[in-house]
Amino acid sequence: MQSVVARQAGTKQEGALFAMWALFWLLMIAVAVEDNRGDPGVRWWEPVLWEVSSCTVATFWLLLERRNASLWNEHLAQPWRWFAKHLVWMPVIVVTFIIAVYGIRHGVYALSGEIYEHESWPYLFFYESIKLTLFAGLWLGIIFGLASFTRWQQEREHLLTLQKHLAESQLAQLKAQLQPHFLFNALNTISSLMQVDVERADRLLTRLADLLRSSLQASARDMTSLGEELKLLEMYAQIMQERFTGRVTLVWNIADDALDAEIPAMLLQPLLENAFKHGVERRLDPVTIRVAAEKQGDELCVTVHNSDSLLTTTTSTGIGLRNCRDRLELIYGARAGLQLLQDGHGVIARLTLPCRKATCAS
Amino acid sequence: MRILIVDDEAPARDKVRRWLAAQADISLVGECADGLEAAASIASLQPDAVFLDIQMPGMSGLEVAAQLEPAHAPLLVFVTAYDEHAIKAFDLNAIDYLLKPFDKERLNKTLERLRERCGGASAKSASAIRVARAQTGSSERLLVPQGETLQIIDASSIHWLEADDNYVHVHTAQARYMLRRTLSDLLIQLGSRFMRIHKSAAVNIAEVKLLAPLFKGDHEVHLRSGAVLRLSRRYKDELFAQMGT
Repeated sequence: MQSVVARQAGTKQEGALFAMWALFWLLMIAVAVEDNRGDPGVRWWEPVLWEVSSCTVATFWLLLERRNASLWNEHLAQPWRWFAKHLVWMPVIVVTFIIAVYGIRHGVYALSGEIYEHESWPYLFFYESIKLTLFAGLWLGIIFGLASFTRWQQEREHLLTLQKHLAESQLAQLKAQLQPHFLFNALNTISSLMQVDVERADRLLTRLADLLRSSLQASARDMTSLGEELKLLEMYAQIMQERFTGRVTLVWNIADDALDAEIPAMLLQPLLENAFKHGVERRLDPVTIRVAAEKQGDELCVTVHNSDSLLTTTTSTGIGLRNCRDRLELIYGARAGLQLLQDGHGVIARLTLPCRKATCAS
Repeated sequence: MRILIVDDEAPARDKVRRWLAAQADISLVGECADGLEAAASIASLQPDAVFLDIQMPGMSGLEVAAQLEPAHAPLLVFVTAYDEHAIKAFDLNAIDYLLKPFDKERLNKTLERLRERCGGASAKSASAIRVARAQTGSSERLLVPQGETLQIIDASSIHWLEADDNYVHVHTAQARYMLRRTLSDLLIQLGSRFMRIHKSAAVNIAEVKLLAPLFKGDHEVHLRSGAVLRLSRRYKDELFAQMGT
């Protein structure tokens, strides 16, 4: 995503380049006119014609270069490559330049009933090649400098937004993990359970500690494996099931080959949390939550389906979901997506992201 | 003291029930798992005090409280795990609440306070109900009896309210509901959308079609539904000001 500021910087750079170009050629014309002022054999318009014809063809080449800037810009990080990619065109440039420039000059001279006299063609060829290469080298240097500067500005800006988003999402992530609602309610369930079944209460307390530990670890790293993320979800679900005894059934449908797929840490937890919040907590009748994951081609597809709830506007704009989407966009750009769909009486949260093998499945 | 427990989570109810059982002067009259059931039980069982969980499916504890008539309401103790907003309001208004999880000592303290307040002056829960109304936008919804059960209707669907002894008749396009509430408290709950037109009637201002003058400065209020009501001279100026005539 190219930001407006970066694009503005790009056009500003372009403007500077063309201003320099115009100034350069005005100077060239002035110098040529000045050089030939004392020469009675040369009329005033001749040096102007020489320079204007060169300028016209050179400008054409510059415009062509700028038009295809994206072709070279991917090599900006490797200057030699960038220059080489340009210089391979030199033979073409030299030939077309000489033909076009001398064609124009011969034409104009012929129109005014004169003959354009110049050095022999082989010498001309040799002389113009060297001049053009030096000339191209100078201007490519300038273009490279400006383009690098633009790129640097864009990158710096992109990095700044990335850092800002990262910091924000980390913050929000931390909030999501320690959802005070979830935490206090879980503690209350344990406190209630303790009165009747100490062992079960103890198990639940241990589960809560595990979950807290895992979520703290998860917040410390960006990516994890689907398997790890699902462990976290299961712990969360176990605690919630204890809280909402008899009101929720969980069905896990996970393809084995999807377990080692890479996924942003703590990305799924808010989806499951939403399923509980909008499904289980809002009604007393039993709700079924299905979590499924599978590879589809080169995509990983994870769905959280809750059997009984209605899609509301607040659901789609909730902080948890927005946070998920922001993270997906930052990491995968347009290649990942998160949709909420109404499915009969239920709601499906459907997440797709490029399938990559997790590198640090710990 | 007769107590009702309201909480959608079974383990949470179990704990309170267990601890209340140890108190000789307390009898548990019922347990409810959601707001609507709680409202019905409060009306039918008339407990002295209610432990009212805030987060519940359907109707929250605050919404249940908002629909109560302060004069007949039981003592209320709100119970919540986390609700920054409501808790701030409770603290400001010295309203009883329990934060989950709570221990026996904390519950006993609350019971102590309930014992002190029980049997005291009437409208003991007035401030709790006022806060609950402010927190929930209770002017938009009204809880009405529908046969054996209760249901929530939109305040905007009400045409007019008619006081009748200890009851209020709520007239809508589809039905007439009979509530054991006072007209004045109902008008406090429903806010400025309604206006009293005489001692025992109030209208939804949006439903008024025209005001027809009679002899001697009296007027009639014609509603869109066709109903024609008498406008008493006492409320005339206020209604005219409100109608912009």
